[in-house]
This record gives sequence, C-alpha cells and structure tokens, in this order.
Amino acid sequence: MLMPKKVKHRKQHRGRTRGVAKGATNVSYGDYGLQVLEPGWITSRQIEAARIAMTRHVKRGGKVWINVFPDKPVTSKPAETRMGSGKGNVEHWVAVVKPGRVIFELSYPEDKIAREAIDKAIQKLPVKARVITREDGFDGCIG
Amino acid sequence: MSQTVVTASTGRTAGSRPSRRLRAEGQLPGVVYGLGGDPVAVAVSYKELREALKTDAGLNTVFQLDVEGTKETVLVRSIERDPISRHVLHADFLRIDTTKKITVRVPVQLVGEAAQVAADGGMVEQKMFELEVEASPLNIPTVFEADQSVMTLSRPLTVGDLELPEGVTTLAEDEQSIASAVITRASMMDEEEAAAAEGEEGAEGEAAEGGDESSSEDSADS
Repeated sequence: MLMPKKVKHRKQHRGRTRGVAKGATNVSYGDYGLQVLEPGWITSRQIEAARIAMTRHVKRGGKVWINVFPDKPVTSKPAETRMGSGKGNVEHWVAVVKPGRVIFELSYPEDKIAREAIDKAIQKLPVKARVITREDGFDGCIG
Repeated sequence: MSQTVVTASTGRTAGSRPSRRLRAEGQLPGVVYGLGGDPVAVAVSYKELREALKTDAGLNTVFQLDVEGTKETVLVRSIERDPISRHVLHADFLRIDTTKKITVRVPVQLVGEAAQVAADGGMVEQKMFELEVEASPLNIPTVFEADQSVMTLSRPLTVGDLELPEGVTTLAEDEQSIASAVITRASMMDEEEAAAAEGEEGAEGEAAEGGDESSSEDSADS
C-alpha cells in the first residue's frame, strides 16, 4: 500500500478542505479519468482497492495511472483508553482530495469496459465521483 | 480562416464578482493581447464564441474579433474551465498577423491498426496528444493522423513518422515518441503460464523416459 518512506513530522492536524482542486483536473496521461466531485480523505487501502477493481475489470489489459499519494497521517487512540496522554498513534495514511481532482486515469481501447472499470473503482471510494474523458474542443467532455 | 466575426465589448470591470455577473448574463470574460499591443480586457458572447469555434480546426480556429469597431484577427490561446461543470470561465485571445507564422498545438490522432503489436500481445500507449507546430495562420492543420500500423513492439511511432503539410514545421525532435507499444500484464501472465505448462510437460516427459519401471509400477497399482 502507498505510504511515505519518511516524513518530517510524524503527526499532523486534521485541517479543513475548502474550495475546488487547482490542478490535476484534466485527463493527462490516459483516455479516461476518475474525477472526484466532493472533498474528502481517501485512504491508501481505498486507493489500492480501487486500483485492483479497475485492473481486474480490464483483465490486466489496460494501463492505470494513480495521480494521488496518501501523504497525510491519521492517528487514533486505542479502544477503551482514557482521554489524555497525548495524541494517538498513526493508524493509516490518507490523500486529501478536493472536488474536480482526477485521481485515477485509465488507458484502454474499449470504451464500455473502460467506463465499467472506473465505475467499479468509484464504488471503492468514500466520495462522489464520475468518469471523464480527454477534453475535445470548446465544450470539453464529461461522462 | 473562419469568416466569423465575434463581437467583444471593452471596459468590463475586473474581479471575480463582476466576472461572475458577466457569466450569468451569457458573456464570457477574456483578454486580447499580442503583436506588441496592450492587453485589453474584453467580454464576448459565450454563444457566439462557441459557434465560432465549431469548425474542424476547433480551438485553433482563426476568426475576427470586433473590439469596439476595430476588427482584429485572433486565435484562442488558452481557455480556463471550471473543474466540475467544465464550462469555459475565461478565454485568452492572441492577436495574429496572417502573414507571419505562429506556434500552435495541433491534436495528434492515431489511425489504422497496430496489428503486429496486437499479435505480439502488446497494447499501444499514446504518449503525445498534441504536437507543437509553426505554421501560417491560414494554413493550420486541423489534426495530424499518425498511422499506427507501422508499429511493432520495438518500433515506436515517432514525430518523424508524421507527414507534415508544406509550410508546417514542428518544434519537436523527430525521435520524440508519439505512441509506443507496451506489453500488457495479461499477455505476460499468459506467456508465463504457457512456459510453466511447457516446463511441466517437459518434466513429465523426462520422467516418463527415465523411469519406465516406476511408470510400470504406477500402471500395475492402477
């Protein structure tokens, strides 16, 4: 699973997620993209589950790009522990995403199967998302 | 060059709120610059601009912009979109001189079938989707068609394979890859399985040749 090799600070504040994505809002590498439509945290497990769902659906035939990296540590305290005694342990890693961010890209020759594969990946994510294609002309291309 | 004339009004107020109001009225904020002139903030009709760009050349369409009575030949240099609705929020118009060459990005499309790549269990991966070229504004190619039938696993499709029209030069090097063949994991797995199956068969064959007694014992047992 994806996680940083080393970090400058072990634990982070949660922070707030405001606004929309400023970059990575277009399909850059593949033919299809998975675009997130609401802000959220995507864990490394969810990224891996989505990737596996997608690659299995295309029967390992296409190419998948992952455009996000889970670089934010999330801590939690053990069950049945009294409050206090400092911040909990790092339990997992998340990628913070904003609406509009394209987190996966897929290159596959068949349109129907590619869309189905991305739909399966969307099922693994905790946020609303949709399929987008490479932009073409003034109107762009959605869905 | 398209004969379409798009009317632009100047004197719009800068800033996000006035721009948002403009968009609500069906106008699109933009800026006109180039040819050593001062940049001018303009507002154009969204519908008119959309119609003007509905040609084969797409976003590379050269058209006339009527800025308060002065007609200027322009090209859309860049557009800014809303990441979610995908509506165009702002457009940059570049003034051009039709007698001088300009640099534009032309889409590259793969045509034909990479039969050899498919036969070898590979897949074509397009790496370049637009090619930067220098061309006369009146002679901008709409699309470059790259024939992928010449591709093999070891031979990628490069910029040198494209047939550029006369008067069009590219800024990219000839060796730059447009598309290359990649072996899919599925075909690699198939090969591994086939190799493993062959290995097993070979081992069984050797065992059968070397151990007649054991095989006879097996048959006796059965």
